[in-house]
Amino acid sequence: MLEYDIVIVGAGPSGSAAALKAASSGKKVLVLERGPEPGSKNVSGAMIRKDYVTSVFGEGVPFERNVNKIKLSLYDKDKPVSIEFSPDNLVTTGRLKFDKWLSSVSENAGAMVIPKTTALKLNWENNVAKSITTDRGEVFAKSFVLAEGVNSLVSMESKIRSDLTPENAVETVKVVYSVKKEDINSMFNTKNESSGVAWRYIMTDPLVAGFLYTYKDSVSIGIGSPINQLVERKIRPEKLLDDFMDKTGLSDMVKGYSLREYSAKVIPEGGFPDINVSKSNVYLCGDALGLVDPLTFDGISPAIASGTIAGSAAVYNLDSATYRYELMKNPEISKIAKERKLESEFMSGDRVREYIEMVSSMLNNWASGNMFGMRNTMVSNYRNVIPDLMGFVLKMR
Amino acid sequence: MRTEEKLYTLRYKKDNETHLAIEDGDKCIECEKKYGDPQPCASICPANVYSWQNNKIVIGYENCVECGACKIACPYENILWKYPRYGKGIALRYG
Repeated sequence: MLEYDIVIVGAGPSGSAAALKAASSGKKVLVLERGPEPGSKNVSGAMIRKDYVTSVFGEGVPFERNVNKIKLSLYDKDKPVSIEFSPDNLVTTGRLKFDKWLSSVSENAGAMVIPKTTALKLNWENNVAKSITTDRGEVFAKSFVLAEGVNSLVSMESKIRSDLTPENAVETVKVVYSVKKEDINSMFNTKNESSGVAWRYIMTDPLVAGFLYTYKDSVSIGIGSPINQLVERKIRPEKLLDDFMDKTGLSDMVKGYSLREYSAKVIPEGGFPDINVSKSNVYLCGDALGLVDPLTFDGISPAIASGTIAGSAAVYNLDSATYRYELMKNPEISKIAKERKLESEFMSGDRVREYIEMVSSMLNNWASGNMFGMRNTMVSNYRNVIPDLMGFVLKMR
Repeated sequence: MRTEEKLYTLRYKKDNETHLAIEDGDKCIECEKKYGDPQPCASICPANVYSWQNNKIVIGYENCVECGACKIACPYENILWKYPRYGKGIALRYG
């Protein structure tokens, strides 16, 4: 009989953080990974906060390029208004290398990682999980961490949580193009092969959040859009990405370069704090808790934060209320919990479009020296947008 | 570029057993009446897994990129959605 102190489902950032924490506390830890290797099933932009990852996993984070410039473009119909700023400590990373490294750190701390193994269901006795059934057999443990990602099948099978709905899920599709290092440097005006950019786009009607990231010798481009909107309007996500690339000129930019990869992922926009975080000796973390920042789409920092707390919860057998409290105390996680309420209001109705029109009109008038235009924008938005914004500000506290 | 050409970029190992199935075909007929063709599963899928042929949904599970949008989009919760077994299915290089 295979028996461990703690079994963790998923060797992504959250599962590896949980494994690192639990193994470092001296527990016998097993990590089950459904892919052929950690990272092989995982999709993101991907941009990470290097100092944060280092603070948990130590030096040596594999990354592609620093993000020296972020450009945000808001599209009011067909014309964009863009702002640029220089962030600190952000880097791009490829998920295969990144997740493999995180997993190797947990292995060095003593965790055992078994890939090519799909967890199927928990087996319960008197409301306590005793074992987990996988496609290769059954494993017993004292406690379990479900870091199983956005399609949290084991959590759902045990009725700890229900599935996302079309209203609180975003479908993203992404393409990676091979682009020579020198070409990237001339395309994006980057100095050398360690510097790079991140571009973000917001479009309305249909609502689209787009991104571009520079890797060492490739460029990653993708979009996300709410599933309910895509279904209602029968918009195919793939077609939306093509249209987005045409509208932004990115299609022309990558013309002649070869496509290296096409992938897709659901981003959760619902979850913590509105769902169960654990049941008895089973703890959820990462995407399984719906922990993705609604504005930046960063799911990796909250995955690591919640995974570390889940690992510790599994070691000390925390009850649900204490685990929830510990999660809420963490700034990476509480930020998302607080923003989520605002986000659902922000996304409802025509608000996003109104805000973008306001910002775009303000900046255009400002740039062209049109003081009256600026004043008119303020006056016309005085009644609807500004009270909304004030409401947001008050609720943010 | 066609969807199938994009999917060629993925490393893939086929599980001989499908990991996707329809629970009740009658619900698909009801769905087609209400939503038309393409149905929500077919229109949300980024990999052309679902198609409507002879009054039923036909599943090409070997196209699947394992995103899970179809099971969320299905208005009848009628898709039995599992992961491929033994590490099969897609294996991403960038992710």
